[in-house]
Amino acid sequence: MSELELRQTTIDAEVAHAPALRRGRRPRLPRAGTFVAGAFVVFLLVATAFPGLLETHDPNQIAPSEAFESPSLAHWFGTDESGRDIYSRVVEGTGTSLLIGVTATFIGLALGLVLGVLAGFGGRVVDYGVNRLVEVLFAFPGLLLALLVIVVYGPGPVTATIAVGLSTAPGYARIIRGQFVAIRSSHYVEAARVLGHSRPRIIARHVLPNALIPIFVLATLGVGQAIVWAAALSYLGLGAQPPAPEWGAMLAAGRTYLSVAWWMTVFPGLMIVGTTISTTVLGRALARRGKGDA
Amino acid sequence: MRAAPVTTTTTKRRAGVIAGAVALVSAITLAGCQAAEPEASGDPVEGGTLVYASGDAEPTCLDPHVGGNYPQALISAQFLESLVSRDATGEIIPWLAESWEPSDDRLAWEFTLREGIEFTDGTPLDAEAVKVNVEHLKDPATQSSTGYLALGKVEAVEVVSDTVARFVLSAPDSALLESLAQPWTAIQSPAGIARGMDANCQAPIGTGPFIVDEWVKQDHVTLVRNDDYASAPADAANTGPAYLEGIEWRFVPDSSTRYAALQGGQVDVIDNPQPDTIAAAQGDDAFTWLDAPRPGASNRIELNSGQAPFDDERVREAFIRAVEVNDGIESLFFGTAQRSYSPLSSREPLAYSDASLFETDLEAANALLDEAGWTARDSDGTRMKDGARLTLRFPVSTNQSIPAEQSLFEQVQATAKQAGFDVVISLLDLSSWYGALAVNEYEIVSAPYTKVGPDVLRILYHSDSIIPAPSGYFANLSQLDDPEVDALLTEAASTSDPAERAALYEQAQQLILGGYYLLPLYDQQNSFLLSADVKGARAMPTVSTPSFLDAWLIG
Amino acid sequence: MWAVATLTFFAIRLIPGDPAQAILGGPGSQASQEALDQVRRDYGLDQPLIVQYVAMLGRLLTGDLGDSYALKVPVAELLGAQIGGTLLLAVLSLALSWVLALALSLVSTGRGRVATAVGEGVELTAAALPQFWLAAVLIAIFSTGLGWLPPVATGTPSGLVLPVVTLAIPLAGFLAQVMRESLLDAMSQPFVISARARGESALGIRLRHTIRHAALPGISLSGWALGWLLSGAVVVETIFAIPGLGRTLLQAVTLRDIPVVTGVVLLIALVYVVMTVLTDLAARIADPRLRQEAPR
Repeated sequence: MSELELRQTTIDAEVAHAPALRRGRRPRLPRAGTFVAGAFVVFLLVATAFPGLLETHDPNQIAPSEAFESPSLAHWFGTDESGRDIYSRVVEGTGTSLLIGVTATFIGLALGLVLGVLAGFGGRVVDYGVNRLVEVLFAFPGLLLALLVIVVYGPGPVTATIAVGLSTAPGYARIIRGQFVAIRSSHYVEAARVLGHSRPRIIARHVLPNALIPIFVLATLGVGQAIVWAAALSYLGLGAQPPAPEWGAMLAAGRTYLSVAWWMTVFPGLMIVGTTISTTVLGRALARRGKGDA
Repeated sequence: MRAAPVTTTTTKRRAGVIAGAVALVSAITLAGCQAAEPEASGDPVEGGTLVYASGDAEPTCLDPHVGGNYPQALISAQFLESLVSRDATGEIIPWLAESWEPSDDRLAWEFTLREGIEFTDGTPLDAEAVKVNVEHLKDPATQSSTGYLALGKVEAVEVVSDTVARFVLSAPDSALLESLAQPWTAIQSPAGIARGMDANCQAPIGTGPFIVDEWVKQDHVTLVRNDDYASAPADAANTGPAYLEGIEWRFVPDSSTRYAALQGGQVDVIDNPQPDTIAAAQGDDAFTWLDAPRPGASNRIELNSGQAPFDDERVREAFIRAVEVNDGIESLFFGTAQRSYSPLSSREPLAYSDASLFETDLEAANALLDEAGWTARDSDGTRMKDGARLTLRFPVSTNQSIPAEQSLFEQVQATAKQAGFDVVISLLDLSSWYGALAVNEYEIVSAPYTKVGPDVLRILYHSDSIIPAPSGYFANLSQLDDPEVDALLTEAASTSDPAERAALYEQAQQLILGGYYLLPLYDQQNSFLLSADVKGARAMPTVSTPSFLDAWLIG
Repeated sequence: MWAVATLTFFAIRLIPGDPAQAILGGPGSQASQEALDQVRRDYGLDQPLIVQYVAMLGRLLTGDLGDSYALKVPVAELLGAQIGGTLLLAVLSLALSWVLALALSLVSTGRGRVATAVGEGVELTAAALPQFWLAAVLIAIFSTGLGWLPPVATGTPSGLVLPVVTLAIPLAGFLAQVMRESLLDAMSQPFVISARARGESALGIRLRHTIRHAALPGISLSGWALGWLLSGAVVVETIFAIPGLGRTLLQAVTLRDIPVVTGVVLLIALVYVVMTVLTDLAARIADPRLRQEAPR
């Protein structure tokens, strides 16, 4: 498996270093798309930093008599089972959700980076050891790993974040290792080696910059995915704790009322999808620019 | 036609689920007044297999003597039977025992068994069988907990004759008959028990209308008809074998899936429907709603009086005055649940209610908290006293609280905040939840408790129940420790005079409610949605398990 | 395998809660102290951890996974009955997601901006769909709305459709993203240009030359995808009431049923190893370059 991945990524890497060919083929996303994605991310950032600016209601204000109201001018996204304003809760939940998504991805990536660098540059023995470790972790279903972490440390947003981060780390580690191995055997690293550059210098100057761009793109995908996994934990009753409005938890809570109040799941769901798409679109745009400058 | 033991309604199609929900309360109560058993819809039809989808946890053992939880009761009630039963008015009625008589000192009870009854393996039902069953329940190796506790005062069973068994007690027990009416003390074949726990867990052998044929784990249990059945309880319409050929008892944990399966005709009966689906089904002629709240305790929020801040009665009262639940129960349960003001289920004839104790009054709550010294406030608006915040830890079991109840707790959290309480809800899996209770890390908690009869009060509020079992579990979660309540409950459990018993339980309930130890919410919700093709099904008046002895399928 | 067993053994010991309690009817039981002591002796739980660990390894070597605490039956028997269903579910989902992903990437790659943007949007959306929500929507449409498919899988082929689709759609989103990348790479390769120069049609090129490139990462990711599917199985088996490893695992974790958790994890590890070997083989078939070199 590992040698196969190695070759596969080598091929990819070689192609990737023929930028002229690649850029010519690759259609640029419409600028409008990038613009919309940018606007959405700005909205998310404002919602995270100053939720009060965007909210129309107190997100935790209950009003049982106004429960299950469909979207209207007063409640843009409708109300939930306790009569709370879903739009305001979605805004309020942005910070928590992004924090879960970004932190979990960061944990996963950081661990993956350490393991990947070790495996990619630590010599045969270390590579073998790390590979086996990663494979063991990989064989552990992610959700089980998450369940174990939660059962040991108790449910809550923090443990959910750590659990999701840990369970995604082996995946990142493999991909990152593949990247490194590919780059390590690429022509320009070989050239640097021939020129007598030291190993840390090669890693810092040549390998990391080249590996980071794809990893960045990968991470943008990971954020949305981490939120979705956290939502699965909420469905199993082990995610964010009430009344904190977190998108995944809102989605899980709304599922019960899918037939009576579709808006309870659709809007938080759209936020997750929107976040994933816009971060990815921006991530790719940045990656293209990065490549252009390199 | 006999009195309907449960409320059964099939209302006309109603446009708009939500709009209809509000009007439902009245519709249900009205329909409940007419004896709405569906017997009017024609004569029983022989044959057919009923498919039942259960949302309760799949039991790990089908023998309810082992452990003893509600999921076990649900299914074992289809193939095991008890010595006595209970009718809709709460009276104890004959079942496997046709009569019983206590001695003058009430320390011995003689039960006369029905003659000619056999277990489905051919073993005769005799006094020896009863003796073996009680010994099985009391044997530590059986690992019984519910049945074991129920028979706590039973010292031994003596065989007087083939048909007469004498229960010898260590102290008078006014709850003995109620205890014996529960599925957890059902009578099984001694030959079946002798096979050992592993075999008996797979397929216990009883006298019931159905027989366990096959158990495919995580999927279903196949039950086939007992063609020789002749031991119907005294209130059953059908005294012979069941009309159904069998029951396919499926385990379907997800509530939306269960309802979808019922809608699609894949299953005939589902349990644990969500309130919104009950409301939706109410508007549809294709379904019948069987509402059968469980007996024993009501669903209530217990206030832990064993430690600060709820060791102060004023703080307890302030919490109860501050929390607003009526609107939430109305909207979250779509009118399918009635607010309760009693520690006991409305199924219990001796339940005592006092609504006046539970009127919401934010000003009074604030005044009480000021008086109790919780005067300072921090930046969140949470009250403080001597540097401590007025924090209430609220562990919630996601296995025991349905989503609507979890939402209600969020509303409790929101309304209590107005008076300066900081309620911290933790959603926990069952093991972690018991763990939090065992180490006293809670100020408020909600825990269901099903039992036949008012003796459940002794289990929940007698100070003896604060002493934990080796597992750390204890039933008195409000940690109510009042010698007067103890005395009343002990006396009520041993008195022979029904009127005195009723009076003692009423006094005890007054003290329990008046001390603001609990906030009653509603009866323990327990209902079934039936396809309109299912006729004659009812819920047993004992612990509200469904009974398909009288049921048949049309179409 | 040994590493997995060790890791699982110690990870589960971290879980608070007494295994003896788990054996005696789980939390909240009112088992007596005598019963607890009895069980501890019977299951060797009174022995030091290292003794228990060695005993477990010894049993594993003889293929004995022990008895379930909660269900009191041999774990091997329990899992033997469950694995078939879960594997079938996983393999069907994997196959369907390959097909969906290939179709999506072939249709939308290199067909101009709009097609690419739509394709990427579909992929990202699919990958971001939580299974529990997707399952509910599919049930609402195909079971409740149209009445085509049953929501509860009772072992019939029609019952498997919804669970398989639920698992396959998000996975297809992932696979398609990867396939698109390699397809793009492949389409800029010299052999495509020469094929075009020879006058082959665009469709012909796609089907004859580039599809292998698109399939390759999909195949090599299959080991990972299978692990992902088994995680997803926990949720999907619960929703569609399918007996299987996922549900067994979830129940075993909540009941602290250590032998079952260990058994499930070992089994999944075994499946993973087998899958890895298989994907290696499949990749050699799809990529001639790998065939030419002797395996290291």
